[in-house]
Amino acid sequence: MARQPSAAAGRAAPKGRGRGPRRPSGLPWILPGFIFVVGLIYYCIGYTGYISTLNWDGVSPNPQSVGFHNYDTLFHDPVFWDTIRHTVIFFIVTFVVQTALGVTFAALLHSRVKLPNLYKVIIFVPVVLAPATMAPIFRQIFSATGQFNTILSDIGLGSLAHPWLAQSSTALPVIMAITIWEWTGVTFILYFAAMTQIDREILEAARIDGAGGFKVLTRIVWPNVRGTTIALAMLSVIGALKTFDVPYLVSLGGPNYATEFLGTFIYRISIPTAEVGYGAALSVMLLILSLAGAIAFGIRGMKRN
Amino acid sequence: MFETRRLSSKIILQVILTIMVIPFLFPLIAMVQESLSGQGWGNYRAVWALGVVPEFFRNSAIIAASVIVIVYVLTMLAAYGFSKLHIRAREIYFWMMLAALTLPEVVLLTPLFSTATRLGLYNTYYAVVLPLAALQIPFAVLLTRNFVNGIPDDLFDAARVDGANAAVIFWRIIMPLTRPIAAAIVILTLIGAWNDYLLPLVFLQTPSTETITLLPSYFVSEFSDDQTKVVASAVITAIPEIIAYLCLQRLFERGLTAGALK
Repeated sequence: MARQPSAAAGRAAPKGRGRGPRRPSGLPWILPGFIFVVGLIYYCIGYTGYISTLNWDGVSPNPQSVGFHNYDTLFHDPVFWDTIRHTVIFFIVTFVVQTALGVTFAALLHSRVKLPNLYKVIIFVPVVLAPATMAPIFRQIFSATGQFNTILSDIGLGSLAHPWLAQSSTALPVIMAITIWEWTGVTFILYFAAMTQIDREILEAARIDGAGGFKVLTRIVWPNVRGTTIALAMLSVIGALKTFDVPYLVSLGGPNYATEFLGTFIYRISIPTAEVGYGAALSVMLLILSLAGAIAFGIRGMKRN
Repeated sequence: MFETRRLSSKIILQVILTIMVIPFLFPLIAMVQESLSGQGWGNYRAVWALGVVPEFFRNSAIIAASVIVIVYVLTMLAAYGFSKLHIRAREIYFWMMLAALTLPEVVLLTPLFSTATRLGLYNTYYAVVLPLAALQIPFAVLLTRNFVNGIPDDLFDAARVDGANAAVIFWRIIMPLTRPIAAAIVILTLIGAWNDYLLPLVFLQTPSTETITLLPSYFVSEFSDDQTKVVASAVITAIPEIIAYLCLQRLFERGLTAGALK
């Protein structure tokens, strides 16, 4: 391995004194992890790319090569466009609601309320519970005879009661509500940590100038946690594209594809339907969208810094 | 953040907060209530009597522990290399790994499935452990590299002047000083591995390998949709997770904020 200090190593070295002993090569240290991750993942991506040009059921020994036919099918598949629409709606709604809830909870718990830890635990417990564990009870809560309808009729809104998951128009909102329930804890804990780093004196000064709670929140707190907001936006984009567990377990992508996401659609096509080639083409699209989303938000985040 | 000097505003804030957390508590209460309806504790006895619950737990524990060990070892080695040693074109290696950060696991399904079947790994722990670890390492390396960057270079230079080689430095400096971030990584990996559903769903087929995330669906087939028993099985799987969180609350919260704070 070359041992001359490169430009990068030179920059990292302490300035203002002679170079100490040369740094040994780091390659042997990163290779185990690098080969494991890059090997497994890029192998799979390459393989997926190859399969996406086949008409294959996953088991037959002689898959038939069809070129870009699967991609052509994809762009004309209304369900594919449905999944894109659901993903966009899902991202916007869950991100906005989680941000609003997370900031509000964090600000409230920074305001010397009683029993702060109890509230923290209640908000955060959903994060540690597996979506798979919670799915049966959510199916029950939103069913025709479920607790949600009981509550509605108890508070005099019985006319709104209906089978929430069985109706196309309300199934997606229910999926989003469950996701918000599960992930607000993360948003909250990140904003809570970010707010501990805001200078108390600025807050005091604003208060002396007569700013009320709401004004302090929107004019001082919100701009100061912008870095967290951008990081969460990126996590939400990737999370929305990865969505699988909740729609698969709670509503099976239905009714009538109303809660179908790319993840559930790829699973359905690849495993039960065994149109492996088409599933791979969808996977490649998902991969491109994920990378594009991450890069778009990543670059915005870097510009801000 | 909000004004709490007057008693009235204190009470208002407390009431707002309490109303806002009710929806977060509600599904958990509904879950316990539902699991006790019908035959009451009999639901739990029926679930336990099938005798498979400890097996599912054991499988989840083995898989999570294996993923944690792989992620921890490979991450520590790589973070040291990336942060403090000389690597030509290091950022290229780094970004190649980071690209995997955005990867949805569903994309890996078909290639993993046909590869696992060919290698005879289908319905074994390996089929779930290896991809899970590979998907967790990029973020862990990102966090740990940032953390190791914060350890002063002088410390490493001094150790080298004293004749320590890279292995000694790794053992004596990196391992002890990275303990805070290591705890965060262990917790993040634990949540990711323990709660994963898709890979076990596709690759594990018998109770001798299946994880607890598959337990509810297992009971759906076992009790032909007797909802109360399915929910009782879900409560049983939720309890250890809640206890683990309550015992290690600080670590869980620090684990999740580790990436966002400098």
